[in-house]
Amino acid sequence: MTTEHHHPTPAQYWKIAVLLGVLTAIEVALYYVNLSYDLGSLNAVLLIVLATLKFVIVVAFYMHLRYEKATLSKFFTGGFVLAASLYTVVLAALGVLVIRGS
Amino acid sequence: MTDVLHEAPPDHPEHESTGVDNRKLGMWLFLSSEFLFFGALISNYLLYSNRPGFAGIYPSEIYDIPFTSVSSFVLLMSSLTMVLAHNALTRGDMNGTRTWLFATAALGSVFLGGQVFEFTEFIVNSNMKLTTNPAASAFYVLTGFHGTHVALGVIMLLSLWGISRRPGGLSEKHGMNLELVGLYWHFVDIIWIVIFTVVYLLSVPPA
Amino acid sequence: MTATAERPQTTIFRRPSAKTGIWSWVTTVDHKRIGIMYGYAAFTFFIIGGVEALLLRIQLAQANSEFLTAGAYNALFTMHGTTMIFLFVMPASAAFMNYLLPLMIGARDVAFPRLNALSWWIFFFGGIFLYSTFIFGTTMAPIGADGIGGVDGNLALGGGPGSFNFLANSPDGGWFGYQPNAGPLYSSGTAMDYWALGLQILGLASLVSSVNFLVTIFNMRAKGMRLLRMPVFVWMSMVVAFLLLFSLPIIAVALFMVTFDRQFGSLFFAPVGGGDPILWQHLFWLFGHPEVYILVLPAMGMVSEILPTFSRKPLFGYSAVVFAGAAIGFLGFGVWAHHMFASGITPVAQAAFGLSTMTIAIPTGIKIFNWLGTMWMGRIRLTTSMLFAIGFVAMFTIGGLSGVTHAVVPSDWQQTDTYYIVAHFHYVLFGGAIFGLFGGLYYWFPKLTGKVMNEKLGKTHFWLQLLGFNLTFAPMHWLGLQGMVRRTWKYAPETGLEPWNLAVTVGAFIIALSIAVFIVNWVTSKRRGQPSGLDPWDARTVEWMVPNPAPEYNFAVPPVVTRLDHFWHLKYDEGPDGRAVRKPDADDIVAKIEHDQLNPASPIHLPNPSYFPFFMATAFPTIFYGIIYHRTLWGKALIFAGVLIALISVIGWAIEPLEEPHQEHADGAHADEEEAAHD
Repeated sequence: MTTEHHHPTPAQYWKIAVLLGVLTAIEVALYYVNLSYDLGSLNAVLLIVLATLKFVIVVAFYMHLRYEKATLSKFFTGGFVLAASLYTVVLAALGVLVIRGS
Repeated sequence: MTDVLHEAPPDHPEHESTGVDNRKLGMWLFLSSEFLFFGALISNYLLYSNRPGFAGIYPSEIYDIPFTSVSSFVLLMSSLTMVLAHNALTRGDMNGTRTWLFATAALGSVFLGGQVFEFTEFIVNSNMKLTTNPAASAFYVLTGFHGTHVALGVIMLLSLWGISRRPGGLSEKHGMNLELVGLYWHFVDIIWIVIFTVVYLLSVPPA
Repeated sequence: MTATAERPQTTIFRRPSAKTGIWSWVTTVDHKRIGIMYGYAAFTFFIIGGVEALLLRIQLAQANSEFLTAGAYNALFTMHGTTMIFLFVMPASAAFMNYLLPLMIGARDVAFPRLNALSWWIFFFGGIFLYSTFIFGTTMAPIGADGIGGVDGNLALGGGPGSFNFLANSPDGGWFGYQPNAGPLYSSGTAMDYWALGLQILGLASLVSSVNFLVTIFNMRAKGMRLLRMPVFVWMSMVVAFLLLFSLPIIAVALFMVTFDRQFGSLFFAPVGGGDPILWQHLFWLFGHPEVYILVLPAMGMVSEILPTFSRKPLFGYSAVVFAGAAIGFLGFGVWAHHMFASGITPVAQAAFGLSTMTIAIPTGIKIFNWLGTMWMGRIRLTTSMLFAIGFVAMFTIGGLSGVTHAVVPSDWQQTDTYYIVAHFHYVLFGGAIFGLFGGLYYWFPKLTGKVMNEKLGKTHFWLQLLGFNLTFAPMHWLGLQGMVRRTWKYAPETGLEPWNLAVTVGAFIIALSIAVFIVNWVTSKRRGQPSGLDPWDARTVEWMVPNPAPEYNFAVPPVVTRLDHFWHLKYDEGPDGRAVRKPDADDIVAKIEHDQLNPASPIHLPNPSYFPFFMATAFPTIFYGIIYHRTLWGKALIFAGVLIALISVIGWAIEPLEEPHQEHADGAHADEEEAAHD
C-alpha cells in the first residue's frame, strides 16, 4: 500500500459526503418539480448532469483516481467511453434513441 | 516490503512497469470491463422500459421514489464509511478500521434489505414478476445483478472485518486487500448512481 | 526477515510441493505448464471439431443424402463452430500466450500465477461441461409448432438406425444461438442450456486471463523492454486482452438473458411476450465481431515473429504493424452490425457499418504489405514454420478480399446465408489463424522440448494441408454464389451442386490426412527429434535467450534490453551496405548466454503450487448443472454446493501461506525469502 501521494483527510471525506447528499436531494427535488411543472427535456439534462457530478466525485476522490497515475484514468475512462459509445449506437439502431436522419 | 515496484530486493531486479501495484492495476482493469456489463443491462432496460403494448404492469408505474431515494442515500453514505475505513488503516487505527468496515457492510446490508423489500412489494402487491413482460424482466435482471454485486461486496467486507480481528490481521500486506475491496465497493455505488437516475428518476410510464 | 512471519501461521493449508507426477500438474502455477495443458486440450478439441466437420462433409458430398438426420446435422454444425472457436482457436492462442509472454518480456511468470491456473481449470471444466451435453442434453423440436408443418417439422426424419440421430440431442441452435430459435419455445430441452452456460464458463476463463496478461505486459517487463521494444506477438496479445476484457461482459449479459428466458421465463427475446430478437443479435455480435479479431490477432503476431527470423531481416515497419494491430482491435468494436445487414436494420445503419467495415481493410492491408516488405530482399529460409507463415499471408489475403465484398451491403444481401460466407470465414480463420498457429508450433517447438520437428514430415504436412484446405474452401465461393444455402442438411440433385460438394469433401479428408502427418511428426520429434540447442533458428527476440527446453525459472539473469530485437543485435552488427553481419564471437556470446542461464548465481524461488485454482474451478460447472436442473431438489443442492465450493476456495486461496518455510526446490536452491509475486 503506497502512501507517497496525497490522500484527502477524513474531514474532507465528510465534506464530500455532504456534497453528494445535497446533490442527491437536488435530484429528488427536481424529480418532483418535474412532476408538477413539466420541464421537458431540461429535466433529463439536469438529472444527467447531477448524476454525472456525483459519479465523477466518487471516482475522483473516493476511488482516489485524481491522485493515481494517469494510466488508470486512461483505462477506466476508456472502458466507460467504449460502453457509452457502443450502447448509444445499439439503442439508436433499435429505435430507442432517435438520431436525426436514422 | 510488498511493493516490488519501488524496492528492488536483490533477487527481484528492476523492471519496466506502470508504477501501479499489480493488484490495483488488475482491479481497475476489471472494473473498466464492468462498464460493458452494466451498460448492456441498462441498455436492455432502456429498450423495454416504456415500450407500449406489453401485458401486465410496467416497473415505471410502480416505483416508490421516496423509498428508493433513501436507499440510494444509504448506499452513497456507505462509500464514505469505506474511505474512512481505508483512511483509518493508513493511520494504523485498527479499531477505527474495524468500525468503519462494519459500518460499510451494515449500510450495504440495509440497501440490500431495501431491494428485497422493493422486489417483494412489486411481486406481491403489484403482481409484477420476472415473467410479466420484457420491461419487468429487464428491471429485475438489472437491479438483481447490481444487488448480487452488492451482496458479494458485503461478504468481502465482512471477511476483511473478520481478518482484521485476528492478530496481525490487516497488516500492511493486507492493506492492499482493503483498498481493492474499497475500489470494488465504490464502483458498485457509482453504478447505482447511474441506475437511480436513469431507471428511477427518468422513468417514463408507457404511452 | 521472512514475510511469512507477518501472516498468521496456519498448518491447515500447507501448500503442495510436488514437482512431478499428476498432482504436480493439478496444482501447478507455472505458466509454461499451464500453456502446455491448454495446448493439448485445444488440439484434442481441434480433432473433435474436425471429426464433426468430416461428418458434415460426408452428408453434403451427395445430394439428398440420408447419412445424417436434419437434427444431427444441426447439432454437428453448431458444435463444430462452437468447438473450433471456443475450444480450439482461443485456447490454442492462450497456450502460446501463456508459454511465451513471460519469456518474451524477460519475466519469470505472469503477474498472478494462481489466477492463471484458475483460468486454465475453469476452461478445462467448462469444456467438459459443454461437451457433457452429448450425454445429458435433450432437444425436442416441436412438430408442426405454430402452424409450420411438413417434413421440416420433424428433424429426426430422413434417417434410420446408424444415422447419427443420437447427436441430435445436443445444441443445435448454431454457434450464434439466434433467438427465438434457440430460446425456450423452439429449442426446448436442455441442449441449448448446456451451450449457453458452457460458453458462460469459458468466457469467465478468458476474462480472468485477460486481466492477468494485461498486468503482466504492463508491469513485468525486463529492464529496458519499453513498450515499443516488445515483440509484435506481445503487442497483439495485449490488444487481444483488451478485446476480451471489453467484449466478454457483453456476451455474458446476453447469455444470462437467454438463460433467464429459458430457465426462469423472462421475456427478453420472446416475440410472443414482446421481446425483441434483434436485441440478441446486437448483443451477440457486439461480442462476436471483436471475437474474430481475438481469433486472428495472435496468429498475426506469430507471423510477425516468424517472417523476420526466416527472412533474416527486421520486421518491415514495426511501429506501423503495432499500430495497425491496435487499430484493428479498436475498429473491430465498430463493425458488429455488418453481421446483421439482412436482419432489417435501417439503411443509415447499413451504410454506417458498411463504411466502418471497409475501413478495417486499411490497417489490415498495412500489415500485409509490411509482411511482404519484410520478405522482400531477405535471405529466405523456407522452413516449415516459414511456409505456414507465408501461407497465412496468402490465405488471409484471400479471405480478407472476400470479406471486403461483404462490406458492400447489396452484395452482402446476395451472399448472406450462402456458402460464400462460409468460404470467407474459413479462409481467414483456417487459412489465417490456424495456419499461423501451426507456424508457431513448428517455430517454438524447440522452446518447449529442446528438439526440432522433422522438416520432411513438416513440409509434407504443409503442402497436404494447403492443398486440402484450398480444395475444401475455394469451391465454396462459387457454390455460395450459385445459391447453396448454409445450415441446411441436404440439397436436391437438380441444383447441380453435387460435383463441387464432392470435391470439397475430398479436400476435407486431405486436411485430415495432413493433420495425421502432423501428429506423427509431433510424437516422433518429441521422442527422437534432433536436439535444437539454444538458438536453432538464429532468432531475434529474448525468449530465445533461455535454454531449450525452458528452465522452470525462465531467466537466471533477466536480460537488460537495449533495443528492439535485442538478441539479434547481440549477435549481429550492421555491415557497410546496411545488411546484418554476424559478429565473429557471436557463437561464444550465445554459448555464454546458455551457460549463464543454466547456472543461476543465487537461489531463485518461484510461486508455490496451489490446490485452490483447481477446486475453485469445479464450482462453476456445479452451479450451472444445478441451474439447468434447478426444478429438482438435487439441482438446487448442486447450486448450493457450488456456491459453497467457491466460497471455501476463495477463503482458502486468500489465507494460504505464500510459501512453506525452508522448502527445497528441484534445482537445489533454498527458499528463504518470500516471493513477492502477488496473485
